[in-house]
Amino acid sequence: MSEQAERLRLREPAHLVSPRARVMWLVEGAFLMLLLFAGQVLWWFLDGSRSRTPHVVVGVAWLVLTVLYLSIMPVWRYRVHRWEHTETAVYTQTGWLDQERRIAPVSRIQTVDMTRGPVAQALGLASVTVTTASAAGPLKIHGLDLDVARHLVEDLTALTIAERGDAT
Amino acid sequence: MTDPVTRPPATDEVPQDAPAASPQAVAALSDMETDWRRLDPRMLLVHLVQETFRLLPVLFGIIILGRSSDNGQNWFEWVFIPLVVAVVLLRYLTTRYRITNGQIELRKGLLNKQILATPADRVRTVDVTSSPIHRVLGLGKVELGTAGTGHGDRLVLDALTLPEARHLREELIHLRQVRAAPEASTGIPAGPSAPPPTGEPYALQPPVTAPTASVPVADTETELLRLDPRWVRYAPVTMTGVVSALAIFGFANQFITRVLERGVLTEAVDRIGDYAWWVDSIVGVVAVLVVVTVLSVIGYVLQFWGFRLTRHSGGTLHITRGLLTSRESSIEEKRIRGLEVGEPLGLRLVGGGRLHVITTGLSKREDRRGTAWLVPPAPRQVVAEVAAAVVGDRQALTARLTHHGASARRRRYIRAMWPALAILLVALLLTLWRQWPIGIAVAAFTPTLVMPFIARDRYAGLGHHLTPEHLVVRSGSFVRRRDVVQRTGIIGWNVRSSWFQRRVGLAHLTATTAAGKQGYTAYDIPVGSALALAHEVDPDLIRQFLT
Repeated sequence: MSEQAERLRLREPAHLVSPRARVMWLVEGAFLMLLLFAGQVLWWFLDGSRSRTPHVVVGVAWLVLTVLYLSIMPVWRYRVHRWEHTETAVYTQTGWLDQERRIAPVSRIQTVDMTRGPVAQALGLASVTVTTASAAGPLKIHGLDLDVARHLVEDLTALTIAERGDAT
Repeated sequence: MTDPVTRPPATDEVPQDAPAASPQAVAALSDMETDWRRLDPRMLLVHLVQETFRLLPVLFGIIILGRSSDNGQNWFEWVFIPLVVAVVLLRYLTTRYRITNGQIELRKGLLNKQILATPADRVRTVDVTSSPIHRVLGLGKVELGTAGTGHGDRLVLDALTLPEARHLREELIHLRQVRAAPEASTGIPAGPSAPPPTGEPYALQPPVTAPTASVPVADTETELLRLDPRWVRYAPVTMTGVVSALAIFGFANQFITRVLERGVLTEAVDRIGDYAWWVDSIVGVVAVLVVVTVLSVIGYVLQFWGFRLTRHSGGTLHITRGLLTSRESSIEEKRIRGLEVGEPLGLRLVGGGRLHVITTGLSKREDRRGTAWLVPPAPRQVVAEVAAAVVGDRQALTARLTHHGASARRRRYIRAMWPALAILLVALLLTLWRQWPIGIAVAAFTPTLVMPFIARDRYAGLGHHLTPEHLVVRSGSFVRRRDVVQRTGIIGWNVRSSWFQRRVGLAHLTATTAAGKQGYTAYDIPVGSALALAHEVDPDLIRQFLT
């Protein structure tokens, strides 16, 4: 492999998702942490031993983790999550600590779905999932502005219809 | 195999007036276009036995209940048996299938009626499975794998006579070829053997016996592999062998426990301490070795006895295997997307290997999703020959792979060592503070001694290569696999990297495909190499996103 080839780098996808996505991730993250807290409350009442030191230690750890997670994760995610599509391909970037870039040719798209969770609905956001014939290949774009998502679905559907073959 | 003529005439609804030379098959075939056909009536017996087995736990419960109360026994006899018989009988009466307009249709159910229809050219694989009961009665369960990946994508006919089942398979493959390549006839000199040019282009051609068949059904068959019984020696070193050994052992032990009210294991455990510790250890190790060897050999024989791989000129691979339950699978070569050449640690140490095919539309009950055995654990040379015969790209199978470099090597060591060191640290702390026996701390050194070797082997396994036809990726130590994936079968790329990987410029590159494991990954590959690979496979796709 040539020296030049080894220096190949992917650029980032062109578009950021909606800024409100940060709020969505914050709320969803908060729910997750509350679930953990509920577990801890349960433990507090079920624990028969007199010592409460373990509870305090775990509680403090939970608090630190929650503050760090909720202050860092949404912002970081927002900076990472990007998407783009051209006439021939869809390109996404997701994650925060672990990041993943996925590229799928439009000719291989099988379905384009739009989903809206409760938080996304409240914020006027939507997620778009593009699936291919491979179970390892769905491209998900979370936190899109509803109008942007609708346009994206329309565009991709139109492009896909123009293509032929059974996309396997 | 049972001769079709010996079918009980009382339960047969297909007229038996066909000439003796070509019984039933031809008569049935002429009906195929129009008539709904039933399963073989002997399926009643098969299903009765199977349902009874399935309900065995309930049955036991009922019998025990019947013993405790006097009228329970009657209840069982008067309700339970007729119920099972009725369910099975209804299943027989309501299940029908036919081939029409180039598609196969299956109707079943009484209250919840279902009609499943699949175009013959969507049928990717045809499996004929015969459990011991099926085999006694000369029957086979036909399963058709279709293109979809959902759960409703299997058409199951349980059961047909084996000749019928094989005939149906030939017919579907035949039909598929007629549908898939009607233009093929243009190359062949027109004559009485040409298919009708108009009208019913998808009409079934009569089989072997008819001189007007346009595509020969009795195509030539080339044998690629036949099991050599000596390969059984590889059974004990495979995980499959060990796992099946444990499964058999578990089952047997439970059975013995039921009968003797005393398990082999409890018996053995009770004896521990009767002798010196080293006698116990030696006896224990020998016992485990013997048990694993014997049981894994049994497992190997059950699974692979009579293994035969053949290629048909019609473009399919046929696999036959199994001692008690026999399986016949056929895979359309057009649907093959590559191979998984397996070299798990045990097999690798004794010069063995195994081979799976990557294809679309295999049943999920295959050993692994979307992959089927092409070569059971066997000598490496045999695996290489069959692999070359199937994909024809020797370079992809034998070429030295490009290693992933110093960063990848360091990562292997770090990932192997930190859990080992963590265990050691915890053990040391416990010994120092909590006065745990010193032996624990000493034992905790073992992982730190073993893991470097595993890390070294894991790094040695990492590699990638690109041939004009295939992408080759390899990884793993205990389950090392060299995946050979058709470049045209790749339908997307995923590049995943953790925070640590990004710091050293590595990533996991996954080529996604509609077949086999759905994605084949080059682990810890330098990002530049990853993109160079993807770029070379599909330049137009990747170029637009490069910096």
